[in-house]
Amino acid sequence: MNSKKTDIMVIGLGLAGMVAAARAAELGKKVVLVGKGAGSLTLSSGGIDLWGYSLEQPEKPALSPRHEISRLVERNKDHPYAKAADVLEDSLAFFQAVCRSAGLPYLSNGLGNWLVPTALGTLRPTCLVPESMAVPDLQQVARILLVGFAELKDFYPAVLAVNLQKCGCLPSGCRLDIADVRMSGREMNAVTLAGRLEQLGVLEEVVAQIRPHLTPGTLVLVPPVLGRARHRQVRENLAALLGCPAYEVAGLPPALPGLRLSDALLTHLKRNGVTVLSGSTVHSVRLDEQRRRCLAVQLAGPGGRLEVQAAAYVLASGSFLGGGLKAGPGLVQETIFGLPVQFDPDGWACEEFLDRRGHAFNSFGLRVNENLQPVDGEGRVCLENVLAAGAILGGSNWPVEKCGNGVALTSGYKAGQLAAGGV
Amino acid sequence: MSGMDKRDYPEPGAESIARPASAGGAGATCAGGSAAQGSHAYDLDNCIKCTICLAHCPVSRVTDKFAGPKQNGPDLERFRLLEPAAVHPSIVYCTGCRTCEVVCPSGVPVAAMNSRAKAQYVARYGAPLRDRLLATPDVAGRLATLAPGLINRLGRSNWLRAAGEKLAGVSAALPLPRYADRSFPVLYRMWRRERQGAGVNSRSSHGVTGGEKVLYYPGCYVNYNQPQIGLAVLDVLVASGVEARVEEFPCCGLPAISAGLYDAARHKGEETLRLLKPYLEEGYRVVTTCPSCLFTLSQKYGELLGLDLAGRPEQITDIFTYLLELKEQGRFSLNPAPLPLRLAYHQPCHQRAMGCGSPSLDVLALIPELQVVDLAAGCCGLAGTYGFKREKYPVSRAIGENVRQAMEQLALSEAVTECGMCALQIGHLTGARVYHPVELLSRAFAQAGQKG
Repeated sequence: MNSKKTDIMVIGLGLAGMVAAARAAELGKKVVLVGKGAGSLTLSSGGIDLWGYSLEQPEKPALSPRHEISRLVERNKDHPYAKAADVLEDSLAFFQAVCRSAGLPYLSNGLGNWLVPTALGTLRPTCLVPESMAVPDLQQVARILLVGFAELKDFYPAVLAVNLQKCGCLPSGCRLDIADVRMSGREMNAVTLAGRLEQLGVLEEVVAQIRPHLTPGTLVLVPPVLGRARHRQVRENLAALLGCPAYEVAGLPPALPGLRLSDALLTHLKRNGVTVLSGSTVHSVRLDEQRRRCLAVQLAGPGGRLEVQAAAYVLASGSFLGGGLKAGPGLVQETIFGLPVQFDPDGWACEEFLDRRGHAFNSFGLRVNENLQPVDGEGRVCLENVLAAGAILGGSNWPVEKCGNGVALTSGYKAGQLAAGGV
Repeated sequence: MSGMDKRDYPEPGAESIARPASAGGAGATCAGGSAAQGSHAYDLDNCIKCTICLAHCPVSRVTDKFAGPKQNGPDLERFRLLEPAAVHPSIVYCTGCRTCEVVCPSGVPVAAMNSRAKAQYVARYGAPLRDRLLATPDVAGRLATLAPGLINRLGRSNWLRAAGEKLAGVSAALPLPRYADRSFPVLYRMWRRERQGAGVNSRSSHGVTGGEKVLYYPGCYVNYNQPQIGLAVLDVLVASGVEARVEEFPCCGLPAISAGLYDAARHKGEETLRLLKPYLEEGYRVVTTCPSCLFTLSQKYGELLGLDLAGRPEQITDIFTYLLELKEQGRFSLNPAPLPLRLAYHQPCHQRAMGCGSPSLDVLALIPELQVVDLAAGCCGLAGTYGFKREKYPVSRAIGENVRQAMEQLALSEAVTECGMCALQIGHLTGARVYHPVELLSRAFAQAGQKG
């Protein structure tokens, strides 16, 4: 079996893993990044959520996510932010610098949250968004034009319109209209349509159908399909043809904004000398005799076995969806190192599917110390040179707290930095 | 066992779901042998409909003619298990790049499902003669080397290419690969005679007592189009004290698998194994330079065709993995000379599907002053014979656009990649000179040898 020696090995191709790898590489370390699949960033809305709603009034969007996080950290020492919020500003700045250099700038809305309209006509509080989603304040618009595509699956502008009117965020007298674009072709998914819109001729045909509905000062909302690799040109061309910008709403997977971010980060890593191994699963790990340190991780793929030996390891393998955690009757296991998982055997879920309190199983995961080293029930470090980041960390209920990408970003950045010895 | 008139329906509580009945055609079964026997029927239950495969599918990105890997794969598999006629005609637009399987976080063999679906479709509705011809590069190569000059001239004739597009459906826009004046097996025999004439014995000359037996498996592209890659392999191995043997193999069968012609593929596979097995039984290491051939031998034979390689998994490997092993044993007997070049690296889809990255990059990193920049632009779009088909050429070209743009952005005019067909496409799209990594290594060794 071949072996590969490196400074740092990162397991997981999601946001946490990619940011950890990027930070460690920036600090001059040799990094090997490994993943079983493509990482769930592909499925994400594309926004970076830090904190969604007010701690006291969970139905109200948080005006200042940073403020909520600082209060949360005082109250709840088990939340991943309590271990990683010290690098919050650094990690956001780092992320924005990487994205800018990759041609996918992310924008903040002052110190507050953006309220991004979704395909269902709800408003999603999120902290950083790509330019294409940086929608102006809806309180100030007199007219909104929703663009739909007859051939696009899973996007219904009429539903968006009705719910947006219901949500009480539009000024009185604001008009909502729909432009239904028809294209030549079969039923399409978002990925195919985004590819199609990269052709200028197609874009011109689309604009010809939107223009009759357009009056000056109208805010144009479109499904998130404005190109993939050439998203910048598509947006610029569309704005030039329409005479005003168009903004993407948050949509269902396959979601282009999440996909663009995943593409951009992966390209950044590969161009900066990070070795990326996708499609490999961890077969086994080798520990030292005292079982205090990890010596090597063995990978298995169709091409055979490969052993990676690193000085430090970042475990960013995700939770149940990503495969970092595995659940069975009465137990939850961490799938790679067999690290102890913090979970409540009696309380997995609420009765109501959409209960605001969120389901407990989403907060199951690893407990870590200040250095992101996984610890057992007594607080003892399990493996000295293994750090954990992202959704595998326990103590946060990201679906209701709206902090999934924020936790991934801060803990990933910190894990990459600590693994590189840069602290 | 042909199931023309008998359908197997899964019974409630049955231990395993029966294999789908083959849709006519002799032996056009959908399942492979031992490993795949019925078991893959359950694989589709692992699919959670997350659409990651669709999001990353290079074909879905550029055309609506393909229903996508999820819909054609796990979604329709459910129906195909009960009714083979449920196969969707758009399946012929799958390139077989295997991206869907690489990116799936739930371990669903999406690519294998799509490949079997294509075979079902072809068994039911047939394939054009053109597809059968393109699926035999070994036959074409052997014929071409009878009169390579003539064939290359004909291949470049615009008039003939236009006729080929009209009559046979082979795209006129994509130049056919050039054939070499002498095939690799012929050059190999000359190479050996030369060495024996010079009285060279690599084992003694380098004082290495590895004693292992190595067979080089060239693949059609090296055999008939780019034999210099094969010679580079022999030289690089000799430089490390290893004298490899070469055997003339038929096509591995991948082009036939890609066209959904499983019977033809199985025929090639059986012929290949008949030649390969004696070497494996004798404990030979088999090294390859083509990621697609390697992937077919080590993965697809068992998974799709039910053929058993009967070797230890590590017995057959790519040349770079093998060289890295030699390096770990301290057996690189020469230090490569500096090559002051800046090149783009393109990772072939089948190389990525191996799940061990690109060992060639670790080997190229040993050459001083050589700068290799990862293009990171995804699939090149050619997918072997796919891009040569008239109706698929535009799809192939659109997929490759990202590669073309990345070359432009990085201002690179030379590239390196392991796959001959990827090299062809990159050359076609960008005009770049494209090397196989082993050619660069051989050059660096040769220059070091001259200095030494």
